[in-house]
Parts: sequence; C-alpha cells; structure tokens
Amino acid sequence: MAKVVVLGAGVAGHTCASFLKKKLGKHHEVVVVSPNSYYQWIPSNIWVGVGQMTIDQVRFQLKKVYDRWGIVFKQAKAIEIHPDEQYVTIEYTAGDNAGYTENVDYDYLVNATGPKLNFEATEGLGPDKNSYSVCTYSHAAHAWENLQESIRKMQAGQKQRFLIGTGHAMATCQGAAFEYILNVAYEISRRGLSNMAQITWISNEYELGDFGMGGAFVKRGGYITPTKVFTESLLAEYGINWIRRAGIYKVEPGKAYYENLDGEMLTQEFDFAMLIPSFSGVGLNAFDRSGADITDKMFAPNKFMKVDADYTAKPFDEWSANDWPAIYQNPLYKNVYAAGIAFAPPHPISKPMSSPNGRQIFPTPPRTGMPSGVMGKIVALNIAEQILGSHNEHHHKASMSRMGAACIVSAGFGSFDGLGASMTLFPVVPDWDKYPEWGRDMNYSVGEAGLAGHWLKVILHYLFFHKAKGYPFWWLIPE
Amino acid sequence: MGSNKIKAYYDEAYPPVPDATTLFWRKFLPWQLIRFVILNIKMIRIVAGGHS
Repeated sequence: MAKVVVLGAGVAGHTCASFLKKKLGKHHEVVVVSPNSYYQWIPSNIWVGVGQMTIDQVRFQLKKVYDRWGIVFKQAKAIEIHPDEQYVTIEYTAGDNAGYTENVDYDYLVNATGPKLNFEATEGLGPDKNSYSVCTYSHAAHAWENLQESIRKMQAGQKQRFLIGTGHAMATCQGAAFEYILNVAYEISRRGLSNMAQITWISNEYELGDFGMGGAFVKRGGYITPTKVFTESLLAEYGINWIRRAGIYKVEPGKAYYENLDGEMLTQEFDFAMLIPSFSGVGLNAFDRSGADITDKMFAPNKFMKVDADYTAKPFDEWSANDWPAIYQNPLYKNVYAAGIAFAPPHPISKPMSSPNGRQIFPTPPRTGMPSGVMGKIVALNIAEQILGSHNEHHHKASMSRMGAACIVSAGFGSFDGLGASMTLFPVVPDWDKYPEWGRDMNYSVGEAGLAGHWLKVILHYLFFHKAKGYPFWWLIPE
Repeated sequence: MGSNKIKAYYDEAYPPVPDATTLFWRKFLPWQLIRFVILNIKMIRIVAGGHS
C-alpha cells in the first residue's frame, strides 16, 4: 500500500488529491494537509468583494468531502520536509491538537501549498494595515464592508478616490485586480454615483494588458490587437484612469508611495485601496538525513520549489518555451512534486525592467486556476501510474508553454446586464520558435466583451463547485 | 470626478470606446448565445490541448 501526501488544498492540491483517490481507490492512502478547513474558489472572491456573493457561496468544508472520498484530512500547515527519510513535519492549526507537530511519512509528496501573501514586502500594505485585498474570502468580505462605507459617503455627497491594482513592484495577479476594479466601477455606476468617484488603476506592468505574460495579441474587430488596447478600452469605457510602470513601496493611511520606471518618486492619495501583494513560497524548510538544511537546494530564493525547469540564468532574448517544466518533479528527489503556484518558474514571462534607481518593476508570472488545476491533475495521474505500475515514465505532461489559459473578467451579476470580458490565449508562455509572428496560436485567441463571457463566468463558478465537491461525473468537467 | 473637455493629451483619451452599435451587440441575446457556444468550444479546445 502506497501513501501519497498532498500539501495544500487549493485548486492544484484539491484537484491532485481528487484524481489520486479516483485512480488509486481504497488500496492506497491519500493524505491532504491544509491549514484551512475550507476549500475556496478564489476567482469568485471578486464577487464577495462587491457584495454579490456571500463567503459561504465561495467555500465549503473540506473534511466532509474528504470523508466521503476516503481521503485523510489533517488541518495543519507543513513546516519541514525530510526527503531522505520521506516524511514531512506538520503543525496542527485547529482543534484539540492545535499547535502540536506530527511527522507524516510518505511514498510520494506533492507540494501544492500555493503562495504566501507577502504583504510584509510593502510597508503598510494589507488588510491589517492601510489597504484591502481580495486574495481570500475573508479579505474580500472585509473589502466589501469598507467599500460600502465609501458608497455611503458618496451617497451623502462626499467624493471618494479609489485606488486598485498591484501593491508591490513585482506583484502578479493583475487579472484579479482588473476584475475587481471593473466590478467596483460597475457597482458605483449602477448606483448613479460615477460623478462622485475617481477610480484609478495602478500597475507594475510596462503596458496595461501585460498580465505578467508579456501581454498578448487577440483577434478583435478585424484587427490583431494587443491586449494593451483591449484593456485600456475597458478601463476608458468605465471612466477609470490609470498609472502604469509603478512599483508601490509604501502605503500610509490614504496615501500610496510608488516609484515609476523613470525613477520618479510619486504618491497617489485614496479613500479606498485594494492592492494585490507580492507572492512568495510559504517558507517550507528541507533537511537531509544528517539534519543539514537543504532548503536552498530544493527551493528557489523566492521559496518556491524547484522542479524540472531549466533554471540557468539567461538574458530575456534567450528565454525559451522549453525552459518551462512539464511534469513538476523535483530534480533532487524524484518522489517529490510541486504543482500550481508552489513550483518555481524558471524566469518571468514579462521582460524584466528596472528604474534608474535599481528597483525592479515588472509583473512576475501568473499561475491562474486553469493551469494550476491541470498541473494538479497530471501530477496525480503520473504518480498513480507509477504506484499502479502501468507506467514508470511520466506519461502525462503539461507545460505552461504548451498550455492555454482563459481569463474572464466579469462585472455585474444579473443574467442580462452583466459584462464579461473574455480573453483566451494559447500557450500561456509565448513560444516564438513555434509561433514566430505573434508568439502564440492566433486560432485560439479571443478578446471580446459581452453577456456571453459573463454567463460563462457564472456557469464556471457552479461547474467548478460541482467538480470540487465530487458530485456525480465531476471528473468530466475539465480543469 | 473631474471632466476632460478636450479629448486628447492624456492616456485615457486614446483607447477605442464602444459605440451604440457595439453596446447593442454585446447584449443582443441571439448573438450572445452564438458567442457563448463559440467561447465554450474555444475553451474546451484550449483545455484539451494543454495537457497529454
């Protein structure tokens, strides 16, 4: 009987655990370790942040589902990996065991711990300090409470300044912030308060529409158009102005400090700010048999786990689609994998930029739900095949340079008055050798706005919950 | 908040904005149903082609 331990129960970890159990059945053990008792569908946090959904509509209790599936669930956070002796040290975060540690042995380990929301990297940033966040459902609910306060002030005749975007010079997840700003603008407009609001987008992107992927091109209106135009067009339509090439380094009450790529040190005042923090790995430590710290061998400096990528330092012009990992296996320990945000990208996708003062200002690579789910699935299938003996090699592969992504930014919630801005592209990481003209396959590209995208976004919310809860035929729903 | 009477010389003045016809098509149900089917097909192709 083999034992697979999955660290994390986000999109990658939960998908991985569900497919492992489906493939391995009762004869092998699957253990999930997560510090949270809930699964959350993060894309819908945006709707919590504007009061269109409640917290309970975007989460469910993991234990109930895992009990039904026969997966062992430990509500704990992983703190150490001992890959030679094949165990992880975990610390319980709830219940009678809270604060106690346990060593959990494994035959295969999947690190799907996601990101640490690194608010500390920007002075004064975060929901406990001077800005809001929509990165978790509780953050989003907190943002909504305070957004309502701003709405009440506008209704009372007091003008309000909104600042939404990236809260660090190298933050990613521009898509989530972009969706939030459109939703905020929509909610303000719906209440007839647009003339009372100044809404500003602030981003570390060189041009809007970069989204940490170096931008993209989409077919639109008879032209092949950069996502810069698509993105700016949506902001202009909603009366939103913008600041780009901005690295926020400090947030005080009502004031954000940033440096731009020209080296200018500037400020932007606000009454309400939702700013995405930078991400890092969760800070797992690794030790070899002798007790020596091997964290820097298993993990990159940003604390994400090294996998089968080419981490050789290269200039931007020499980056290749082949640098990106395909099976997410740690190069030192072949029974250890990292899926979703937990793996270390070989390099950014957007071109690195620095101000004259040396501050790096550019987005780091995004790893949204779809790629994370796909990674979780192929890691599960490869491990299951090794355990069951049907394949010793890795039969399933999913490189971000061979994988597409869809980004649907939906504002509003009604069936007939919402707006969905849909973007699809393939692959996520541009492959200039295979697609020399545009870097990506234009047959897969979409960039359009309309009710269709909005419907799709709403339907995806319910479909992914159906899948995550393991309801009948869940495995037929793609990642 | 604030008005810009001259539509030039600031970033927000330059991107294309939808006219009444575009806004109509965005909410015209028969057309959006067609787009919905096309979007679904594209997404399924992307997901299916992304891993082996």
